Amino acid sequence: MKRALAALVAGLILIAAPVRAHHSFSAEFDVNKPLKLEGTLKKWEMVNPHSWFHLDVKGPDGKIVTWMVEGGSPNQLIRMGVTKNTVPIGTTLLVDAYQAKDGTAKAVGRNFVLPDGSRLFLGGSAPGGDGGTK
Amino acid sequence: MKLSVVVGIVMLAAIPIAGQQPSTYKAPRTPDGQPDLQGFWTNSTYTPLERPDGVTKEFYTPEELAEVEKRAAARESEQTEPGTVADVHYDFSQFGLDNSQATLARSLRTSLIVDPPTGKMPPVTPEGRKRAADLAAARKALGNVNDAVQNMSNGGRCIIMGGSGPPLMDAGYNANYHIVQAPGYVMILTEMIHDARIIPLDGRPQPPSGLRQWMGVSRGRWEGETLVVETTNFNGRNPFRGSSENLKVIERFTRLADDAIQYRFTVEDPSTWEIPWTAEERLQHTEGPIFEHACHEGNYGIANTLAGARLEEKKAAEEAAAGGAK
Repeated sequence: MKRALAALVAGLILIAAPVRAHHSFSAEFDVNKPLKLEGTLKKWEMVNPHSWFHLDVKGPDGKIVTWMVEGGSPNQLIRMGVTKNTVPIGTTLLVDAYQAKDGTAKAVGRNFVLPDGSRLFLGGSAPGGDGGTK
Repeated sequence: MKLSVVVGIVMLAAIPIAGQQPSTYKAPRTPDGQPDLQGFWTNSTYTPLERPDGVTKEFYTPEELAEVEKRAAARESEQTEPGTVADVHYDFSQFGLDNSQATLARSLRTSLIVDPPTGKMPPVTPEGRKRAADLAAARKALGNVNDAVQNMSNGGRCIIMGGSGPPLMDAGYNANYHIVQAPGYVMILTEMIHDARIIPLDGRPQPPSGLRQWMGVSRGRWEGETLVVETTNFNGRNPFRGSSENLKVIERFTRLADDAIQYRFTVEDPSTWEIPWTAEERLQHTEGPIFEHACHEGNYGIANTLAGARLEEKKAAEEAAAGGAK
């Protein structure tokens, strides 16, 4: 009985898994260029189809480079109470990322983490946020 | 512990079985007397369109559904293996885009399809198979999907996405709708990607067959408590599961409760399927408003993707030249 249910669940998941990305991220970013970016937030574009974080990142030579980091559609975050003021400008963010194929200072943010190790936006909460109301 | 089990069982027992007809419930009325369907609704669901292989029944038990949802939610939150192509993506759970963080339209049904009773789509006609093969060949002749804007998908280009309908289908995330009624009209706004269907209810005929649109042309009428919307005149460039421009979609909206609408749709397209087929969803009330999904304006992905494609072409040309010089 348990096995039958497991098989049925596996089938359901296979079919139910929707195509999440509205475009191919591996066409835009390079799996061979993983990055760890640490920077301060300069601007957050809460736009669709995907939001963009602009981060000032200090390079090994001490120069500041502004990186554009792609994240998800902001609509559900907004429903959860996140606003453009939720993540204050100047917030330090650590991002596991993949760089753009063309080698410019653009990346997709695999995971956004705050300096205390907590994940940004988990459950709609973030520094200054209204919490996970939905 | 015992209390939580009891609460869990009570909650499961309260899951409405999509398919039940409204019995005593009567929808509130708009000022002009229409049954009121207005508000914000979602069809975000773990229920697949087709019944999974190996499943032979129409409904799960509440316990089975709980297991199905638990596993689906766990799967959504799984991290991909770093360094793999699948990992080249933002974590959608971090942006609340997984179903477990959305309002869910829950149902004990094992598939959205209710007819054929197998829960599977009916066989495709020979004409439908030929059209699909011709389209695939034409698509291949255009070259790599990322080489040119014209090669990219409708969704990637922000022209139209799967949720726009008709029929209304869970687009994967942001599966939300706003229904507004005015005397003689119903408007359905789809969050993905901000497409509005304005449906007249005055009995006017469909326009001539030469007038064709991405979402077709819809005409509505009331049959008692149910809003019936028929849509034809599709342009065929946004096929629904391989449909042709001869697609006809008949939708039925019936308010089941203050927080739910029963949504059934029948798909007729003799150019594609041997028989019509019907599916049923629950539209669950959700919080508004809907933030605009101004997709095209923010679609930096197109330029970035093309920049990547140009770089790959350059590399390939350099490698070819180096190979030729040897």
